[in-house]
Amino acid sequence: MTRMLYYLGLIMEYFKNYMKTRLTYRADFWVEVISDLLFQATNFIFILVVFMHTDSLGGWSQNEVIFVYGFFMVPYAVFSCFVNMWNFSERYIVKGEMDRVLTRPAHHLFQIFLENIDPPALIGGLVGIIIMVMSGGQLGLPLEWWTIPALIILTLSAVAIYTGIYTALTSLSFYSDAPTGILPLMFNIQNYGRYPVTIYNRAIQILLTWVIPFAFVGIYPAALFLQREEMTGMALLTPVMGAIFLGIGLLTWNMGVKRYKGAGS
Amino acid sequence: MNAIEVQDLRKAFKIQKNREGLKGAFADLFKRQYQEVVAVKDISFAIPQGEICGYIGENGAGKSTTIKMLTGILVPTSGSLNVGGYVPYEERERFVQNIGVVFGQRSQLWWDIGVIESFQLLRKVYRVSEQDFKKRLDELVERLDLQDLLNRPVRKLSLGQRMRCELVAALLHNPSILFLDEPTIGLDIVVKSEIRDFLKDMNREHGTTILLTTHDLQDIEALCSRVIMLDDGRIIYDGGLEELKQRWGTGREVLFQFGRATKLETLRQWTAGLAVEWSAENDLNAKVWIPLELNVSDVLGRVVGQADITDIKIIETNTDEIVRSIYQSGSAEKADEAAEAAKAADSLADDTKEVSHV
Repeated sequence: MTRMLYYLGLIMEYFKNYMKTRLTYRADFWVEVISDLLFQATNFIFILVVFMHTDSLGGWSQNEVIFVYGFFMVPYAVFSCFVNMWNFSERYIVKGEMDRVLTRPAHHLFQIFLENIDPPALIGGLVGIIIMVMSGGQLGLPLEWWTIPALIILTLSAVAIYTGIYTALTSLSFYSDAPTGILPLMFNIQNYGRYPVTIYNRAIQILLTWVIPFAFVGIYPAALFLQREEMTGMALLTPVMGAIFLGIGLLTWNMGVKRYKGAGS
Repeated sequence: MNAIEVQDLRKAFKIQKNREGLKGAFADLFKRQYQEVVAVKDISFAIPQGEICGYIGENGAGKSTTIKMLTGILVPTSGSLNVGGYVPYEERERFVQNIGVVFGQRSQLWWDIGVIESFQLLRKVYRVSEQDFKKRLDELVERLDLQDLLNRPVRKLSLGQRMRCELVAALLHNPSILFLDEPTIGLDIVVKSEIRDFLKDMNREHGTTILLTTHDLQDIEALCSRVIMLDDGRIIYDGGLEELKQRWGTGREVLFQFGRATKLETLRQWTAGLAVEWSAENDLNAKVWIPLELNVSDVLGRVVGQADITDIKIIETNTDEIVRSIYQSGSAEKADEAAEAAKAADSLADDTKEVSHV
C-alpha cells in the first residue's frame, strides 16, 4: 500500500516536472498535440473512405467500426502517455543512462516510464471518448451501470497488453547491441487490431489473438459495448491476456536488466 | 565493521567480434563470433566503515566495472560481495537507498529544470522527509556555497558548479557509503580543492565511507589513507599511501642555484663520504640526488656553509611517479625491476614533479 502511494506520488512529481519544462516551450507542446491528432485523423478518414465503397466490413457497419476505432484510441493514448520506449536502446543502453536509473531506489522499468512520460498523447484518448459517445449515440447503444467500470477495466487491460509486448521487445536491447527494427514493425501490426478480426484470414486471426494479441486492444473489448455476442467471451478474456502479457514483459525485462553491460569505461 | 566486502569478484563480458570487410560482415550475419573479455579478475578486498579509499588504475584496468558491481548496476559473473549489509544486485532497491553515487562524466540531475527542482524530485525518489530534506539541503548548500545556483537550470551551470550540485544530489538522502567515479575530472584547481575539502569534512563529520576512482593522484594524496591499485583486472597494491611512498620512493632531489660559478668536482668533494649523486647542467645550477636513508639536512649542511647559494628547491618523489613506475612493472611486488623503471620515468617526468621552496 505504501508502495502504491510512493509510486503514485512519483507519477505526480514527474508530471509536474514535465509541465514545468514543457510550458517553457509552449509551441512544442501544441505542435505535438496537433501532429498526434492529424495522425489519428488520417486513420479516421481511411475508415470513411472504405465505407464509401461498401456498407459493411465483415458484417460490421460504419458506425460500429468507428466506435471500435474510438475505443482503440483510449488505451493507445494511455499507453503512449506512460510507456514511451522508442529511444530506449539509444538513450539508456548506448549512452549508458541505465547506470543512473539503476542507482535509484524505485523499480527500473517504472523509472524509465516516468522519465519519458508524454502527456499530450492523452488528448487522443479524449477524442476517442468523444468518437465513442457520438457513434454509440447513433447506434443507440444503452449506457448501463457497468459501462463505465467495464470501460476502465478493459482500457487498463489493453494498456497492460501493449506494455507487455513493447517491454518484452525493448528488453531485447539488453541482449543485442544494435537497435532492432522490430518496434516499428509492431507499431504497424497493432493497427490491425482496430478492425473486425473476422475480415482477416485464419492465420492472421490466430496471430492477432494469441501471439501478438493486438485484437485485445481494439476489436474484442469494444465488441462488449457493441453487444456483439460472438465476441463477448473474448472481451471478458481481455484482463487475463493483459495479466499474462504484462507478466511476460516484466519477466523478460527483469532478466534483461541482469545482463546489462553498461557503457563506456 | 566492514562497509564493503568483496571476495573473488569477477566480471566477464562477451564481446562480439566484427570480422573485416564485406565478406566478414556477411559471415557475422549468420554466425557470430564472441570473445570473452574478463574485466575484473577475482579480486578481494574489504573496506572498513568510515574509510576513504582510493581506487586507481589505468584506463581499462577494471575500476569502473568494479564500482558498477559495487553499486548494483552490474551483476558479477562470480564471487561474492557485500556492501553496507546488502548484496547489491539482489536487493537493489533497498540497497541503493543507503549509497550515494557520483559519476563524473554523467549527470544525476535533470537538464532542463532548476537545480532545486531536481533535488525535490530526488527527495521524493529517496523518500526523504520534508524536515530532513530541508536540514540536509541547507547544510550542504551552505557548505558548498550554492545559494545563487539553486534556481538555475542545470544546462546553464559550469562544470564546476554542476559537480558541486551533483555532490549534493548524491548526499541528500544521507547515504553511509559514497561512490565517486572520477569526481574531479575536468575541474579547475580551485573547485578540485573545494571538493576535496568537502569530502574530507563529510567523512569526518558523518563517518561516510568513501570509495573513489581517479586519475588525479593529488585527489588520492589529499583524501585517502588507503589505496587499492588495479592493473588489468587484478589488484596489484592494497595498502596505505605512506607505505607505498616509503616502499617505492627512491629518494629526494635538491636543486641548487649558485651566485658564483661552482664546479661539479668541488661539490662532490664537499659531500665526500655521503652516498649522493651530483649532476649539473652548468656551473650555476646543480642537482643532487639523496637516497631515503640520508637526511637532506646533512647534505645541505655541507653545501650551504661553503657555497654562495641563491636558491634551493627540494623535490620529493611524489605519488605520480611511484604509480607510474608500478604500472610499468605491472606489479607492486617486483620492486627491483620497478625501481629501474621509476628512474626511467623520472627523467620524463620533471615537469610534473611537486616542487617545494625552502
